[in-house]
Amino acid sequence: MSGHGLATRLYRGDAGLDIIGKRKVWFSVALAVLVLAALSFGLKGFTAGIDFTGGSKFKVPASVGSVSEFQKATEDAVKAVDPKGTVSAVQKVRSLTGGEGHYEIRTSKLKTADNTFKVKQALAEKFKIDPGKVSDSQVSGAWGDQVTKKALLGLAIFLVLVIGYLVIRFEWKMAIASVASLLLDLVLTATVYILVGFEVTPSTVVGFLTILGFALYDVVVVFDKVQENTHGILGKTRQTYAEAANLAVNQTLMRSINTGLVALLPVGGLLFIGAGLLGAGTLKDLGLVLFIGMGVAVYSSIFFATPVLVALKEMDPRFKAHKERVLAKRASVVKQRAEARAAAEKAGEEYSEDGDTPATVSMAGAYTAPRPGQRPEGRPGKQRKR
Amino acid sequence: MKWHFITLVSITAIIFALVFATGKGSVTDRLKPRLGLDLQGGTSITLEAKLLNGKLPQADQMEQARNIIASRVDASGVAEPEVVIEGDRNIVVNIAGEQKTETLKELVAPAELRFRQVIQTQPDVTEAEVKATPSPTPSASASPGATPSPSATPSANASASSAPSSTPSASATPSGSASPSASASPSATPSGSASPGATPSASPPVNPDAAKAREEALAKAKSEVGDTAWQMAQAFVADPSQFQDEAKKIQLYDTLKPFSKLKGDQVAALSLEMQFLVPNITCQQLINRPPGSVADPNQKIVACDKDVDEKTKKVSYNKYVLDNAKVLGTDVSSANFGYDKGWKVSMAFNSAGQSKWTDLTKLAYNSGQNAGKPEQRVAIVLDNEVVSAPAIQTVITGDAEITGSFTRDEVSTLSAQLRFGSLPLTFEIQQADTISPTLGGEQLRAGLLAAGIGMLLVIIYAFFYYRLLGTVIFLSLVMSGILVFGMLVFLGRQIGFTLTLAGIAGFIVSLGVAADSFVIYFERLKDEIREGRSPRSAVPRAWARAKRTIISANAISLLAAVVLYLVAVGTVKGFAFALGLATLLDLVVVFLFRHPLMAAFASTKAFLSPRVSGLGRVLQRDPAADASRSTNPKEA
Repeated sequence: MSGHGLATRLYRGDAGLDIIGKRKVWFSVALAVLVLAALSFGLKGFTAGIDFTGGSKFKVPASVGSVSEFQKATEDAVKAVDPKGTVSAVQKVRSLTGGEGHYEIRTSKLKTADNTFKVKQALAEKFKIDPGKVSDSQVSGAWGDQVTKKALLGLAIFLVLVIGYLVIRFEWKMAIASVASLLLDLVLTATVYILVGFEVTPSTVVGFLTILGFALYDVVVVFDKVQENTHGILGKTRQTYAEAANLAVNQTLMRSINTGLVALLPVGGLLFIGAGLLGAGTLKDLGLVLFIGMGVAVYSSIFFATPVLVALKEMDPRFKAHKERVLAKRASVVKQRAEARAAAEKAGEEYSEDGDTPATVSMAGAYTAPRPGQRPEGRPGKQRKR
Repeated sequence: MKWHFITLVSITAIIFALVFATGKGSVTDRLKPRLGLDLQGGTSITLEAKLLNGKLPQADQMEQARNIIASRVDASGVAEPEVVIEGDRNIVVNIAGEQKTETLKELVAPAELRFRQVIQTQPDVTEAEVKATPSPTPSASASPGATPSPSATPSANASASSAPSSTPSASATPSGSASPSASASPSATPSGSASPGATPSASPPVNPDAAKAREEALAKAKSEVGDTAWQMAQAFVADPSQFQDEAKKIQLYDTLKPFSKLKGDQVAALSLEMQFLVPNITCQQLINRPPGSVADPNQKIVACDKDVDEKTKKVSYNKYVLDNAKVLGTDVSSANFGYDKGWKVSMAFNSAGQSKWTDLTKLAYNSGQNAGKPEQRVAIVLDNEVVSAPAIQTVITGDAEITGSFTRDEVSTLSAQLRFGSLPLTFEIQQADTISPTLGGEQLRAGLLAAGIGMLLVIIYAFFYYRLLGTVIFLSLVMSGILVFGMLVFLGRQIGFTLTLAGIAGFIVSLGVAADSFVIYFERLKDEIREGRSPRSAVPRAWARAKRTIISANAISLLAAVVLYLVAVGTVKGFAFALGLATLLDLVVVFLFRHPLMAAFASTKAFLSPRVSGLGRVLQRDPAADASRSTNPKEA
């Protein structure tokens, strides 16, 4: 097998990566992420955008100049009184009855009347108009509490239903592992979002909802394979549950990578053009959430969901006992084989019907790293059943 | 496999036929999706809450009003309007595209729905009618309560039931549709002609401030019409029978002319009898009474309906005296619109409302049993207007329907108004402006370019990894794109689905995600081939397994879409709609396009060759391994 590189082995689903065996590592990573998340939530938190918090609205006659000049001037004026302040895009407003119209811009909350006054002054000075021509008013957010409340209610109902669905379609341990992985995904994405320091906008929320579906979708695909591989496993002594799950992860690894790439390429395009070239709100918020969220979803379906599932399974006495049986049998086979080998000194037995070579067993510690030779033997039992 | 393609082609053809049929103008115009506020700009309306006794409206009332207005603008959640509270008493509504002023006016309608039994009715007359018609039936004019004017003003749906009173049981419609039947009950001049004195004058309003305002308006009305007219009106109202003959009628009309100049609030301050009987007070004036004038359910009121003759398009009005409201808008639990010989709105009641509604119809049915009295009719009053006043032909224990000469837009707005309740405050449109898009064309182009580059990379990768099978991905992406685009254009027209930049990005991403079903399929295929199957047998087996995975995974997306669409509001609702749409279209493409195409590929000889699919690579193994493997599948 040494003749094939990792890429080829990945392609064939034979990468033989021991993912489940190293689950302590993945759990530590998850824990570290949670600590980081707790810190960032506690210390920094989300910066809610104008659509959520509301703010001020300034109007000036359109005669002052171009849209971009006004945009720039307001941005500068707001930053001068509040370095963290932000502004929306300028809109040109014209009355239906005619007239030259005016520009409108919304800014984040300016906190004091004094600040508002300063912004007005700055705008008036900049465009050399009478401060009376700059009007301001307080505006609420466009995204009301109702929207958030109802969305959260919808999410809660969805989670209950989806757990129900997963319990029926798979089993409750898989349901828990899926949802745990989903939550990790959301928390991790939120953490990155906080750390990057983008404002939360409606696009951000839509992005989060998108990865919600994507993350579950991804886990379902992996678990579907796990379920297939572990079908009736308790009745056999060929593999432990952990090994079968590990094999499933390896088999779907290429799928996960492909899916990740295919989904991330367009998102990446949006993110880098959106944030890099345009610097405009909509695309960069959505792009960032989707990029991180989908990336993490692919990661957590492999490195978190399945390890959690195996950990849950091994808490079950039946699976514990099964694991011991498998290992005991394997040990005895190894012993027999070693004896046989010593006796006969034959090398050609490497691919005997029962599959595992002593070398493999020792290589992956307690587990058998899935090897090319292993799968076909693992399958016929199942195929015969159909 | 043929039927797959036929179905797919039919679906596409139907979508685009609808796109072209519902559109107007040139081909490119017909293919234009409806862009969002950020991309095409729109209309901005500033609504101002009317002050009650100089007090500012409470913040929570404003918030409630904002939610209701947002829901009314965007009942299906896909139009993405922007509704914000500005200052203490303004609500600014920004909607994509140009909007008709009439549509905008509906937004601010308080939408107070009342069901009231009819006490009296008479047609609204114009000066020309008073003077030109040599009153054909002198006796009729004596009883304004039921005078059939020559143009008997049948309500628009009069044709629905030709014999209003004769067969009450005949139309025992189980759904309880209250079809408005001939509003003109010509035969039935109720004797005694409901002497106006019988209708108690409006009980004083509870609110002392409002009472004061009313008194002021009344005083103003008095001075406006002058003493002569006022006294004559009072005499007339006290005993209308003395003005029966033709000359007196015309004299009355001329004397009372100043009444036609009264403003809405002044008309509202007059007694019921005056509002109803004074011929110079037109329905237009009654309709222009301030919002909420007739909202009090514990008062008898005067209101008008509007009839449009289907043939002549002539508009005519009828005045009604209506009893206390027995059923209110708050008793309505849901409202929807539909089409059945005309656009209509059907309403379901909550349990308390249902029994009130049944009682009301019983009352009306019983009192109307003697041949088409006005009392047989129940008026459905929305704000200041009677929307329809059907004769109740049976006791209705089910839903109610509002029919009339409505357009689709009207019933859609009306049902949205009923569903989302009445506004807690009264608003006036302050100004309507057009607003520019916030994102310029170059932003849209840059966004599309970004997405285009992303998709191009996907396709390059697909060809690299899947070789010629990349064509399947490429073609199905194109196919999905066409379907999605067609649906977006169609839905944009039908339900106001608007495409914001974020929405466009979302759909492009969903195309990428949709390619995943191909990846799953392909990986399964690889598994099967690795086990030594021939392509011909591997494809169906791989499909059977991949199908299960694809369906489970998409089921979750659909679940999310349906739950969020039903529960959420605003942006989230719009997102859920898009998610559901993208998922459904993905399933269509997978089942009707990708799989059959793959199957067609599999039947080619070159399928396994490195150049076509690269699938053969999974077979490049150690000869020893191959030897052991080749035996297995045969056992299976």
